[in-house]
Amino acid sequence: MRRIGTILAGWICLAAIAAHAAHTQARLILSADTAKPGDIIWAGVDLKMEPGWHTYWKNPGAAGYATKIEWQLPPGVTAGDIQWPLPEKLPPAEVATYGYDNEIVLLVSLKLAANLKPGPLDLKAKVSWLECKEACIPGSASVQATLNIGTETKTSGDAATIQSWQGKVPKSGDSLSASAHWTKPANDDTRQLAIEFSPSPKPNGADFFPDANDNFEIQAETKWGTGEETEKAWLFKPVKKYSGDWPKEISGVIVMESSGGARSGFNVKFPISDQAPAGETISTSPESRAGVSPVRAGETPALLSMLLYAFIGGLILNIMPCVLPVIALKILGFVGEARSEPRHARKLGLVYALGVLVSFIALAAVVIGVKAAGHRAGWGMQFGSPVFVVCLTTLVMLVALNLFGVFEVTLGGRALDATGGLASKHGAAGAFFNGVLATALATPCTAPFLSIALGFAFAQKAPVILLMFLAVGVGLAAPYVVLSWNPAWLKFLPKPGAWMEKFKIAMGFPMLATAVWLFNLAAGSYGKSVLWLGVFLVVVAFAAWIFGEFVQRGRARKGLALVIALILLVGGYAYALESQLRWREPVTEADATGSLKESAEGIDWQRWSPEAVAKARSEGRPVIVDFTADWCLTCQVNKKTSIEIPSVRAKLKSLNAVALLGDYTRFPDNITTELNRFSRAGVPLVLVYPKNPEAQPIVLPEILTPGIVLDALDRAVR
Amino acid sequence: MIKLMKTTFALFAALTLASAALAVETGKPAPDFTGTDINGKTVKLSDYKGKIVVIESYNSDCPFCNNQYKTGAMQELQNDLASKGVVWLLVNSVNPNNSSHRTPDQAKQEIAEKKIVATAWLDDSSGAVGHLYGMKTTPHMFVVDKDGTLAYAGAIDDKPTPNHDPKTARNYVREAVDALITGKPVPVAQTKPYGCSVKYAD
Repeated sequence: MRRIGTILAGWICLAAIAAHAAHTQARLILSADTAKPGDIIWAGVDLKMEPGWHTYWKNPGAAGYATKIEWQLPPGVTAGDIQWPLPEKLPPAEVATYGYDNEIVLLVSLKLAANLKPGPLDLKAKVSWLECKEACIPGSASVQATLNIGTETKTSGDAATIQSWQGKVPKSGDSLSASAHWTKPANDDTRQLAIEFSPSPKPNGADFFPDANDNFEIQAETKWGTGEETEKAWLFKPVKKYSGDWPKEISGVIVMESSGGARSGFNVKFPISDQAPAGETISTSPESRAGVSPVRAGETPALLSMLLYAFIGGLILNIMPCVLPVIALKILGFVGEARSEPRHARKLGLVYALGVLVSFIALAAVVIGVKAAGHRAGWGMQFGSPVFVVCLTTLVMLVALNLFGVFEVTLGGRALDATGGLASKHGAAGAFFNGVLATALATPCTAPFLSIALGFAFAQKAPVILLMFLAVGVGLAAPYVVLSWNPAWLKFLPKPGAWMEKFKIAMGFPMLATAVWLFNLAAGSYGKSVLWLGVFLVVVAFAAWIFGEFVQRGRARKGLALVIALILLVGGYAYALESQLRWREPVTEADATGSLKESAEGIDWQRWSPEAVAKARSEGRPVIVDFTADWCLTCQVNKKTSIEIPSVRAKLKSLNAVALLGDYTRFPDNITTELNRFSRAGVPLVLVYPKNPEAQPIVLPEILTPGIVLDALDRAVR
Repeated sequence: MIKLMKTTFALFAALTLASAALAVETGKPAPDFTGTDINGKTVKLSDYKGKIVVIESYNSDCPFCNNQYKTGAMQELQNDLASKGVVWLLVNSVNPNNSSHRTPDQAKQEIAEKKIVATAWLDDSSGAVGHLYGMKTTPHMFVVDKDGTLAYAGAIDDKPTPNHDPKTARNYVREAVDALITGKPVPVAQTKPYGCSVKYAD
């Protein structure tokens, strides 16, 4: 009995070993069935890996082991070096390696001596490799193929396979005229290398896979940029020295990704000089993640169609909830005026447009500046600044009070009195200010089309960014400019009269609601002391009333009233904002962990990270990712109408799906990177990853319906 | 224009080097850490000041690591150095979801089976120590001098394969420790580590 047990245990062990070694299958293929003496034929060692398993390139990178082939060839047959098809850079970033997924054919030339005798030849090789998934296992196999020596060359059935893999072997990179230099003198063991080359056409992404060397390591991390005036590109790689002198020459493969996503490799070898050549400006690519793969998520579309998207996006912004209340009113005011004074109205329409455009130029300048400083830029990023939020909350509340008629705005030297209302003449400065305000309020809203266009814009050079922003601005301003030039189109509006005053007050409420929403944003930065912002707002409101009632409309003691209003403002600011709220030093929230569930029966949201996505996918579960932000109204609407709803909750549960929430409120870099990967400049971005870990994620549109979400989830498990 | 270009270069350099500077450097103080060993005992690097400490990034399921142990070469080194008063810390950073993870009980069994001679086996399944030292591979070796200076970082030996005979290879750790004991400069202070990637938690 005991003996049977031992045998059984041994047998199970053997079975386990056999199963272990079976993650990679090896075979030998030849380009010809029959060849003549003196020919050169190609042999291919075909390694097929199970899903998730990979084997390594000639330079495995930070870990791993290059596949080896030991030939056992009959006399007269000489094998060349392995020709390695272009590998992929494999995650994780902290221990990046170079290798192959799914299948690889390593190519070797076989030279046949001229004096070979006709007849069959046995070609054998021992192939050894390291296969890794969660664990690494060394594997080896003896492979064998038969070649006939005859009078005529006959290609084999595998010739096409060999040919297609030959197409993946890096070509000569001589035409790239690559060179390299150190960016700095050496002062420790790590030094940065700049590789300069001239690609044609300009690639979408580039990387450098170095040959292996024991004395130094060219690390996996890559930054790259392209020249603004010439067709030059640069790659920046950190080099860590282990022993000996700094290398004088390096070799490897320059990898480029075309706009269509195709990758190609070019063999290069060049000396390293200590001095940078006299050159030109480099525009930095937003892509500084390791590798070139991220651009694969979306193709770069043509500039013209992107400008059109930007324009349409700008148009749609007009009716987004954050913008509508501001402009609807004031601008309809001066448009209405066009009936009586068309020239003045046209002028105001243009001034309004100017206000919008100037604001967009300012936004573009900020984005360009932020990018030049090496940071990531995002649409609506100013809402990540609590100081900005406090200022805007105060401003929006004042606009609401103004709409309620508490006080008047005297911009452009003309007072608008309450009774005259909107029918009175509007100052040019007022129209300009409306343009600025419309832009400031437009940024938390991402309209359909806009996110695609901005995603494109944020990855471009300075002039293109400016052009794209201007296109959005033109879109935002267009309807009012058009209406002010064609007042006849406004016939559907009733004649100016008392209704306008009521309409004005009514529009004060959405404005007040906007203020409440902004206040709520501020609460995120200040915690409970946000109370003092509320106190400050009340004091400001009171000061505004004194100003309106006793300074603007008062008869006597205007000076005293003005002094009281000013004392209230300054006192309120100094006490509530400065000493109590400490508004310029917001408290930072500690990162919450665990479930982000909003209610007991709500979706069990977990914090998003690329690792969380990878983990869920490796478990074969579908994943829904919601990139959102407190200041993103579109996101909130999407969540209420189409995500956090019973049918979606039930669907997620039945599919055993993982729900991940990416909070973009404070612009974490890793989410900016992810958004850029999907060519988006801002939130919302909702992704559904199919159950099949190989499949690409489904990118949902900006504005969701329950049907869109449910349908995507269904597709994810098909 | 040239100035702008230089600024851009400097910026790139700063960004890249900032991230590369995270790993430990030989000749500088080895970062202190506190970990828990498989007996639940707290292990603190600075507690071993005055002794030479060898830190090994360990995962015996990795063929490169296993090659050192199945041939007995690593145990021989461990025994030898232990007799010279050297502390040996084994750091296992494999995440708990990986099949190569070891519970304390499995670890104790493995120590007995493989006859491992180590002062402590640190359960680093969070990867804290691994990340602190920039451990990339198993095995990735570190030697800390008596005064807490990192004296060696890199590979165990000069043959980066999973199937050589380690006893015939040039063992950098033995070389470094011997040099420190005799007060000579460490001949090779750093090498490129080889092996399997450390199976860190996500």
